[in-house]
Amino acid sequence: MKLFEFEGNRIFRNEGIPVPDFALASTPEEAASRAQEMGLPVMVKAQVLTGGRWLAGGVVLADNLDKVRDEADRILGMKISGFPVKQVMIAPKVDSVREFYAGVTIDEYRGNPLVILSAEGGVSINQIAANRPESVVTRPVAISEGLLPSMAKQMCHEVGLRGKELTKVATILVSLYSVFRKYDALVAEINPLVQTLSGEFIALDAKIEIDDSSLFRHADLNLSIESRITNPLELKGKQIGVTYVELDGDVAVIASGAGLGMASVDIINQKLKPANFLETGGAITADLMYKVMDLVLQKKGVRAVFINVYGGINPIHEGAKGVVKYIQEHNVTIPIVAKALGNHQEETWEIFRSAGVHVVTDVATETAVEKLVEVLEGKA
Amino acid sequence: MSILLNKNTRVLVQGITGRAGRVQTKFMLEYGTNIVAGVTPGKGGEVVEGVPVYNTPQEAVEKHRAEASVFFVPPAGVKEAAIQNIDAGIKLIVVVTEHIPVHDVMEIREYAMDKDVRIIGPTSPGIITVGEAKMGIMPGRMFTPGRIGLISRSGTLSYEVSGNLAKAGYGQSTVVGIGADPVVFTNLPDILRLFEKDPDTDLVVIVGEVGGVQEESAAEFIDRWMTKPVVAYITGLTAPESKKMGHAGAIIHGEYGKGTSQGKVAALKEVGVDVARFPAEVVELVKKRLQTA
Repeated sequence: MKLFEFEGNRIFRNEGIPVPDFALASTPEEAASRAQEMGLPVMVKAQVLTGGRWLAGGVVLADNLDKVRDEADRILGMKISGFPVKQVMIAPKVDSVREFYAGVTIDEYRGNPLVILSAEGGVSINQIAANRPESVVTRPVAISEGLLPSMAKQMCHEVGLRGKELTKVATILVSLYSVFRKYDALVAEINPLVQTLSGEFIALDAKIEIDDSSLFRHADLNLSIESRITNPLELKGKQIGVTYVELDGDVAVIASGAGLGMASVDIINQKLKPANFLETGGAITADLMYKVMDLVLQKKGVRAVFINVYGGINPIHEGAKGVVKYIQEHNVTIPIVAKALGNHQEETWEIFRSAGVHVVTDVATETAVEKLVEVLEGKA
Repeated sequence: MSILLNKNTRVLVQGITGRAGRVQTKFMLEYGTNIVAGVTPGKGGEVVEGVPVYNTPQEAVEKHRAEASVFFVPPAGVKEAAIQNIDAGIKLIVVVTEHIPVHDVMEIREYAMDKDVRIIGPTSPGIITVGEAKMGIMPGRMFTPGRIGLISRSGTLSYEVSGNLAKAGYGQSTVVGIGADPVVFTNLPDILRLFEKDPDTDLVVIVGEVGGVQEESAAEFIDRWMTKPVVAYITGLTAPESKKMGHAGAIIHGEYGKGTSQGKVAALKEVGVDVARFPAEVVELVKKRLQTA
């Protein structure tokens, strides 16, 4: 789960990483009063869960209250990469003499934390790495040891820092690493980390993404998923515990695994258009499949449902009962094709057939998609 | 022979008294797995499907010389259970559990490496040495004994591809689901190495998907070390960018431009691997490679 800049700022502040003073506003008037309290000039910054805010015009400098009001009005009506701006941050302008990049992420393949520091900042780390690879220093960290101050200092030395500056940035790097660990982050990033005229270092942006599987350990952060997922169907999927991704076609897809779901989408895409990707993971029950049917049929214009499930950990015969209950209660008349194999397959087929579902018993998803095409063309 | 697991391997089931643990223990026993003990803290003394239950893996190792452990443990309990199993001397662990915090995965991974313990998962369907034994949730009926080794990041696609191969008369030696989380305990090339050495495997099938660099790393390994033919299938060719398609690993990082299905297909083809676009196509490619081998 990605955090908004203001949420990241709060965490940074609690963990001793210097951030500018900041306030939030959701109306132009509010923005103006916050700016007045803070003193001009201020930055008006869109709070959205995506990068590229500067380029999109979502971060601007305002040196008078009218401008704060106008810019807040404009930014609060914006969408940046599809994300509507609901709040702006008001923060004092910071004069910087140098910009750095500091980040901690996961080296997925090697399975350990990776600390990144660069004497360039402001643009994305991928751009920095592509344009000025020599300015980027990375360090894998043994998770049982953590980022030792000596390692952080060595990294600072390698990007050209010396003396007090080296010590200050090393301290921030160690704090950033502890944010990464304490909050189960996938990424904790300061970009840019600026050096001010007075020689201080301040985090001018905060990008933190928390591992969804760790949210149970961070209930105290009160992170609402509603403010983060803009697609209502994807949000509903999350709420019932499945992964739903809306696509632009009209054949609903329900699969019992991500791989099988993607394969189904790939195969359907050859001849038809999938309305969605949906995978249940290993948590199928009759109740879940009932809700899943309800979810995929909420999308307008769906003209068929394609179900592809395996009975490994999932009790697919229970799942089939939920599907059939939904069909009967809601008098579903669009065609449904189901391929279901594995434990309890015969029982599952019988349940599906009792509600007029077209059952495919062949192992190949390709065969099931052919069946779907036939059914839609009225040949079966 | 086969890899990792055979009918004599002494297996313990961690979390045997839970719903999934009970059901899957029954299936594993029916398949022929040598399950010697179960473990659930606080449930010592119970018996599940005829299997004695202990409070700790230590007891299971002492009383039954358990050497491998399959986990049906809730996500928050996996780290502690893994450390206990490793400390008890277990040498092979299969973690079926989904949604384990990735920081826990990193910690367990490092601990296991230090102690030279092989862990498979998380979010793994398990390991099946076909016709002998299985640790995990793979439905036995989808597999037929034979000489093809299969490594899959996706559980469900390991069943689909094995089922397709079996239907065409190509059985499997061992099938390993490495799991598709962003960090897995054992990477794809590590399993390729085991199959390369396995006298009962003639050809290896890799089932990959979008996200991460497992397949790219496998391509490097194949180029350097593999003498056996390899066939691959990569799913997610039409997955939209920057969307999580299910398990956390299956995401295309648009901004990084890495981990796309297309990139994986290209990397594998470059080192001479035949790559299928759809699951059933794997059968044709396997047939071709075995004829020319």
